[in-house]
Amino acid sequence: MWQLDSGTLITIITILAASIGIVLGCLVPALMEGNAVQKALDGITRQPDAANDLRTTLLISMALLESTAIYSLLVILILLFANPLLDRFFG
Amino acid sequence: MEAIAPQIVFYFFGLPITDTVVSTWVMMVIIILAAALIRKYAPAAAEMIIEMINGIVSSVMPENTKVMKYLPFLGSLAIFLLLGNIFSIFPMMVSPTTNINTTFALAIIVFFAVHVYGVREKGLWGYIKDLATPIFILPLEIVSQLSRTLSLTIRLFGNILSTDLIVAVVFALIPFILPIPLAALGMLTGVLQAYIFTVLASLYIASAVEIEDIEQERRELKQELQQSS
Repeated sequence: MWQLDSGTLITIITILAASIGIVLGCLVPALMEGNAVQKALDGITRQPDAANDLRTTLLISMALLESTAIYSLLVILILLFANPLLDRFFG
Repeated sequence: MEAIAPQIVFYFFGLPITDTVVSTWVMMVIIILAAALIRKYAPAAAEMIIEMINGIVSSVMPENTKVMKYLPFLGSLAIFLLLGNIFSIFPMMVSPTTNINTTFALAIIVFFAVHVYGVREKGLWGYIKDLATPIFILPLEIVSQLSRTLSLTIRLFGNILSTDLIVAVVFALIPFILPIPLAALGMLTGVLQAYIFTVLASLYIASAVEIEDIEQERRELKQELQQSS
């Protein structure tokens, strides 16, 4: 009954791994970026004169935090669209 | 859907030319024409652009660095990325930074620029001494240099390619009005990533050429002695 050939098996596991990976890879950076914005807004409220410095620092830090989400998106895209393992096991 | 990889357009004496290379040529023509026209007809606009880039770069470098020495390199990086990241808007063109080779080339240029500027500022021995001040930091420094280059590459490539891909996928599903705000989001991401790349490059250059205050005073005293004697 479990007569799955290796190509089908690789595709099933790829779909599962891709969905779990993309959910986790988007959830954690988003929560942490919200944390960073929260602290930055606290700082701006406390000292409105430093708003420009805080804004610059905030933008740079958010771009750096976003890049880890992009790493996971990149791996998922490669798995879905240009999966190298599919040919290796003659799927 | 397999068109994530860049497509080969034609062959030039046996070398394959991809669509991103053709886009880069078109971008070069546009930038050169725009620069010549602005210089001739509206020099005030050129001054405003250069002052804006100067402001962006100076806001992250420490106080007493001479920004003007590094401004040509950082400015051309900023203008190339500013046009290049949004270039997918034009018909039949694809943005050159969707190809990981382009972003890798830019990151390698930044890597070498950092070390060349550092050596030119401090001398070879002084620069290596600054890198390895507690001696066990040196392998960490080398690894961090390599990882900074890699992260610059993948950040730019991943951001621009993913926004392009989202627009393409949505266009295949609902071609009516929905791709327009997503394309606008892609353009916003492109401008932001150009800003981030330039700011990070100037940060790395600033950390490579900055001299501690004691060293700066010692150097100035030495120059004064040489001039007076």
